[in-house]
Amino acid sequence: MIQLGALSDGTFAALVEEAPDAMVCIAADGRIVLVNAEAERLFGYERTELIGQPVEILVPDAARAGHPGHRAGYIASPRHRPMGVGLPLAGRRRDASAFPAEISLSAIGTDEGILVAAAIRDVTDRLRLKDLERASQGLESFIYSVSHDLRAPLRALSGYSEVLLEDFGEVLGEEGRGHAERIVAVSEQMGQQIDYLLQYSRVSRAELHLQPVDLGEEAARIAEEIQRREPGRRVSFAIEQPVKALADRRLIRTVLENLIDNAWKFTSGRDDASIEFGTAPSGDAAMCCYVRDNGAGFDSAYAGKLFLPFQRLHAARDFPGTGTGLASVRQIAERHGGRVWAEGAVGAGATFYFTLDGKECT
Amino acid sequence: MTGRTILLVEDNPDDEALTLRAFKKSNISDEIVVMRDGAAALEYLFGNGNGNGNGDAVPYPALILLDLNLPKVGGLEVLHTMRADERTQMIPVVVLTSSKLDEDILDSYRNGANAYVRKPVKFSDFAEAVRAVGAFWLLLNEPVPASGPESIEAGHEQ
Repeated sequence: MIQLGALSDGTFAALVEEAPDAMVCIAADGRIVLVNAEAERLFGYERTELIGQPVEILVPDAARAGHPGHRAGYIASPRHRPMGVGLPLAGRRRDASAFPAEISLSAIGTDEGILVAAAIRDVTDRLRLKDLERASQGLESFIYSVSHDLRAPLRALSGYSEVLLEDFGEVLGEEGRGHAERIVAVSEQMGQQIDYLLQYSRVSRAELHLQPVDLGEEAARIAEEIQRREPGRRVSFAIEQPVKALADRRLIRTVLENLIDNAWKFTSGRDDASIEFGTAPSGDAAMCCYVRDNGAGFDSAYAGKLFLPFQRLHAARDFPGTGTGLASVRQIAERHGGRVWAEGAVGAGATFYFTLDGKECT
Repeated sequence: MTGRTILLVEDNPDDEALTLRAFKKSNISDEIVVMRDGAAALEYLFGNGNGNGNGDAVPYPALILLDLNLPKVGGLEVLHTMRADERTQMIPVVVLTSSKLDEDILDSYRNGANAYVRKPVKFSDFAEAVRAVGAFWLLLNEPVPASGPESIEAGHEQ
């Protein structure tokens, strides 16, 4: 406990002066007697311009006429309270612009009579954040329902094209059948893209269930599964274990699956394919992991595009895919407060890094 | 097998046409009855409401393919109502829907769905799914004995 007596007047003045909120003190007649540095900054006045002025100079035009009445009411029964409970409050800057504010009041009895102190906080950012959150929630559920509804007509598109192929193949002729086949193929591709949108909206909305996960163990399991799916390929895996992290198990598994699947896919042209999972020195970051392969690599000029949805750096006929895997990786790493980046060169393999808490490897 | 019916509850005419085609292609010859909303499906099963339904006059379907997103009465409510009535309690119900939402899958199982199949976009995959569902539930799976659950319960009491 600080003993009040131990603080000089100068300390009090400094405390008020440096307070994070704008402080404006008025006397019983409504004239400003004291302002701090934040109040000068917030309202855009020099303090010499404010001292002695009625406090209404800081009240937006619309509320000014009623303000002296409210002020008198407060002085008649002063107690510490927020101002205008439940009402949107605003302050008026020197240039007459207004900003949304949160204001709390307290009264101090002095030898010269009552002083009212107002602490004023600009809540523009907070309101904007709230609006943004609301908008983004709305957008995600919109994405969800739209992508869901889009699947039905797509199924009809693909379905009737196959009906054409099966029942009217001869009438269509070779060229016509080729076109119908394209419709089927493109519908399927669009279906996968819609699935990505669904997944994106789900991952944005999902609550993170953070728990201790051994990423090395997960990576080893994924490697085993992928090897079992294609037993004909010889790929050497080097997987660091254990790599303990605090993560959402289901989501982080998706990250590892996408990265290891990619590594697997892009090393398909090599007899000496190798895929490595490990951790890089990360300074004080909790976790920085990478998946490295010696496959086809990529042109580093386009590295920025890698993590955008539906972007592909390789021709579909060389390496099939929908271009959504790395976008998911990025989204999930970012939901964990981390980030992703990649290093690589054409023909020289690629390394994909991710962190789970926002700090970069050193 | 004759006299068996499959009830398809589906409001999208394209999905209906493609499902019927898929059944035809997989040589499932049972009669397929289509109801285009949940209320009509309940009416068909129970003959509720204005009484012009089939009620007990027709045999209960051997298999029900149920969409979730339906006009009037939703698929989950149809399922819930069916499971609460001993006449329809044990009919195999396969939920056949576009939704991959975890909540929809959980709610379906909670309400007593026997299976949950997401309609694939690609028709040949869809046709294969319908074929597999039909083959399993109509050919491989042993249905509830014709004597019904009551006789078995009576048997236990002896």
